[in-house]
This record gives sequence, structure tokens and C-alpha cells, in this order.
Amino acid sequence: MILEKTNLNLGFIPLTDSAPLIVALEMGFFADWGLNVTLSKQNSWATLRDKLHAGLLDAAQMLAPMPFASALGLGVEPKKVIAPLVLSLNGNAITLSESLHHEILKANKLSHITLPMAAYLLKEVISQRKLQGAPKLTFANVFPYSCHYYQLRDWLKSGEIADSDVDIVVVPPVNMVNFLEIGEIDGFCVGGPWNAKAVRAGIGITTLTSFDIWQDSPEKVLGLLASFYQQFPNTVLAMCAALKQACTWLETIPNRFEAARILSKSQYLDAPLDVIAPSLLGSCLTHKNSEPRIIPSYNQFSASHNGSLNQPELVRGEWLIRQMHQAGQLDKDKIPTNLISEVFRPDIYREMKEVLKKHGVSRATSEPWHFDGARMHRAET
Amino acid sequence: MSAKISSVSNKLRVLLIDENKTRAQGIISALCDSRYVVEHLESITASLLKVVDALQPDIIVMDIESPNRDILESLHTISRYSPKPVVMFSAEQDTEVINLSVKSGVSAYVVGDADPNRVKPILDAAVARFGEYQKIKSELVETKNQLNSRELIDKAKRALIRKKSMTEEQAFHSMRKMSMDSGQKMEDVAKTVLSILSNLDAGANNI
Repeated sequence: MILEKTNLNLGFIPLTDSAPLIVALEMGFFADWGLNVTLSKQNSWATLRDKLHAGLLDAAQMLAPMPFASALGLGVEPKKVIAPLVLSLNGNAITLSESLHHEILKANKLSHITLPMAAYLLKEVISQRKLQGAPKLTFANVFPYSCHYYQLRDWLKSGEIADSDVDIVVVPPVNMVNFLEIGEIDGFCVGGPWNAKAVRAGIGITTLTSFDIWQDSPEKVLGLLASFYQQFPNTVLAMCAALKQACTWLETIPNRFEAARILSKSQYLDAPLDVIAPSLLGSCLTHKNSEPRIIPSYNQFSASHNGSLNQPELVRGEWLIRQMHQAGQLDKDKIPTNLISEVFRPDIYREMKEVLKKHGVSRATSEPWHFDGARMHRAET
Repeated sequence: MSAKISSVSNKLRVLLIDENKTRAQGIISALCDSRYVVEHLESITASLLKVVDALQPDIIVMDIESPNRDILESLHTISRYSPKPVVMFSAEQDTEVINLSVKSGVSAYVVGDADPNRVKPILDAAVARFGEYQKIKSELVETKNQLNSRELIDKAKRALIRKKSMTEEQAFHSMRKMSMDSGQKMEDVAKTVLSILSNLDAGANNI
């Protein structure tokens, strides 16, 4: 396979689930495919997107709904962005401030909250605040077109809490923990390592993970311009192959611990191991006085209960469009036909799998280990 | 602070979000004695949206690499916030490319590094371009509304012709008379006519 382009500049946001990109670079998977990759750390999703649209980034880790928002021109000039690979499932969690934690206990006359927490426990707090004329509860998420936002809405809705009962705002992940501490926000839905960071700092309680809300939904995808794929098809296949190998490498617990060490470096997450490692090892830190919860699928990068997760299946795209519609961000009936199959590209994924097969994959990645929380086993193939 | 600013007429309020004090100071001095009044926010301690709400800036200036960019991005999805021009500075040389991709349509406008000598003309250009864009957008809405009201009037006219056996001219004149007598817009009269006629129908069906 002749690569049309070998130097690549990929964008990522420092989060636990940027592991596939970082591992692909650090473990030499990109190099194995003849790619010379630079990872560019980004501070905001909007700027990452604008740089991708402008061609300053060749590809980037994106929130799963973002390529659809780009294609539809939501909040930006429309641009054809495609997603040939799902990079991760799950990975988010909802953390509430210590003061809201106490408010919930008091309002519901409870001694402790059973986890995962049911959203209806907020109802009493909300009505008491209304009576007292106290401000509404404020919850933060990371971006208008993010699963975080839809998961937060879904959870609140499950407790029959109306949109108008709370304020939902966007806060950059780097400010989340600080905002929770000073009371700017009462809770947030964010990815790792920020939930663990809040718990370690003793300022919050992680009441549930996104896996408790939606089981195995795409969280991050690889996004790139459709025009980039047209120009450099083999390069895109090689990039996806290397990332797929990284995702497979991330299946085993020993490798995940190694990944946590790599991620903690200053050029990546620049965060301590004790906040990065837990979610990668299937542990959800909950509260300074409580034990962690076992969530084997907290971060999923490769195999899942439903088979391969890296393929951007069209039904997953439809699901995301439905979430965007329910959040009032688009009219489901008015989206262009073929939108989903133009954005999510399982065809490229399948082609990449063929390439992987043909090139005979080296190292242990050819026989994936299945990470099943308490136990691991080789794939029975 | 905001009360003082809003008392200044013909001035444009600039919300400058920048952690870099020296650069911010440069921008502020470059804009003194101009039509711009700068409110500098060094760090985000309060929710930025609340600040924007309280200050109602005419223009927002920030670094494109700021994590707070995503807060501003969420402004687009909140309908009660009227859109604001956002000027983003970037130290990188290749911003011209980003500029091309974001300048049309949305309010973001990227320019090169925050050279104090260039700040004023850049803000002038952004305000002018944004005003132009808003004008086109509101003209579009206006045209759409006009089309809608014409359709409504036609519908009411047809209903009168069919149900009250009027000629087209009679229908139109009776609506215009109602409009003049009541001081209501033709569009509102058409709405009333349609609602009365459909209520009459419903009433007749119930007898």
C-alpha cells in the first residue's frame, strides 16, 4: 500500500479517552504503518473543529455528534466531515458537589445515596429551592453537541425533572473541578480524569457513569474532512489501522495500566496516575468516604458486549441524530437523506480491516484479549 | 461597572477575555480614546454566560486557544442570547486559513496576533461585517414574514368567498375595513377571520 501522505498532524483534547491516539504514537503503531504523526493538544472543541475544517489538523479525536454538527452547519459553516472509526465507548460520569450531596440527603431524609443515583432524588431539592426562592441547580457539560449534554438531559428526564427546573451550561473540563468547589455549578457531566479528580480532592460525589445511562454508545470518533479522504485514501486507511491496533492493545489490564502511565505525562493529560488509572481499570471512584464502584465498561476502546465497537455503524449515527433532535438542536425530519451514511463510514472501516488482514498484523494485537472486568480471556476465535 | 458603561452612549462595549495581562493592557491602551469601552476579564470565576448576560457586550474578544471558547460556542444554541461578533486572536501564523473557514455566517472572526496597532481597525472591520451579516439575516426573516402574512390573508379571503359567498373584492374590502376600524394589521384580521369561521363551523357541527 503506497501512502499518499506520511506526515500527519492530529488533534486531541487531553482526556482519558484520548488513549488510542496517544498509544498509537507511543507504542509505535503509527510508525509501523509508515506514518510520522504529531499530536497537537487542543484546549477547546470549537477550536479543534475550526482547525480541522481549515485543514490545519489532518484528523482529530471528536465528540461523536460533532461530525454531524459540522455536516449540518450547526454553529459553524457546513463542512463535510467523516468518521471512519469509533475510538471509544462510554467514559463520562456525573459528579455532584459536596453541598448538593448534603442537600439531597437532607431533603430526602436519607443517610446515604444508593449508587447509581436515581435522578428523582433531585426533585425534592428542586422544589425546596423553589419555595425558598433559591437559585436553580446548575449543571455543566462540555459542548453543545456532546453525548455529555444528552446524557445529562436523559438522566434528569428519568427523574421527571423538566428542562426548565435546572440550568445547563457549558464549562471547559479544565475549569469543572474548580467551579464545583467554589459553587459556580452544582454538578457536571464530563469525561475522565475529571470525575476522579473531583473525588480525590474530596469535593464531589460521582453518582453515576455514562454506562449507567446509555450502555455502550459511541463517545469519541476519529473525524476528518471528506476531501482529505478523497485526496489521501491510503493514508487514512493506514491511520485507521494503527488506531484500531492501539484500541485492541488497550484491551488488557496490564496494558491499560501502562497506558495510564503514558497519559499522565505532561505533554498529554499532565495529571497524576491516581486519577487517570481507575477508570481505565474499570473502577469508578465515588466519594472520599466510600468504596469505588466496579464498572468494567467505564472506558471501552475495542471489543464490547455487542461485538466490535470501532465500526461506525449507521444505527449508532441514527441514535445520535435522535439525541440531537430531542435536545432541540435539529429537526430530524428535515435532515438531508444520506446524511448518516455520508458522515459515518463503515465502508472505510471494513476496507481498513481488509488491509489489516492482508498485512498480517504483528505483535500480540492480532489476538485480542477480552477485558471483562474481573477476568480476562483470549478471544475465542 | 456595567451601569457606568451603559450610560455612555454611542460607545461599543468590548468584553475582553484574556489571561495574559500584558497583552490585555496593550489592547486596552490601543482602544482608549476610541468608540470602544473595554471590560477586561482576566479569568473566568463567574459563569461566563452570566457575565455576558449582565454586560451585554457589543463585541467579544478572546484568544482562539482559550478553553473558554466552548462556553461562547454554546451561545449559538441559546436562543435568548442575541448573537455577538466574536473576534479571536491567534499567535499562530496560519490563522488566515482558519479565518477563511469561519468568517462567513457565524460571528467568529479570526485575526493574527493581537498587535495593538491593528486592534482598532480589526474591531471596526468585525463590527461592520457582523452588522452586514445581521442585516442580511433580518432581511431574510422579514421577507419570510411578509410571505407568511400574504398567505394568511389569501387563506382568509378564500374562506370568506367560500363560506360567506363573497366575491374576492368584497372579501378583501371587508377585511381592509375591519383592519382600519380596529387599527389591527391585515395579517391579524385574517387570523381573527379564520378563527371565527372555524369556530362557527365547529359550533354548527355540534348542533
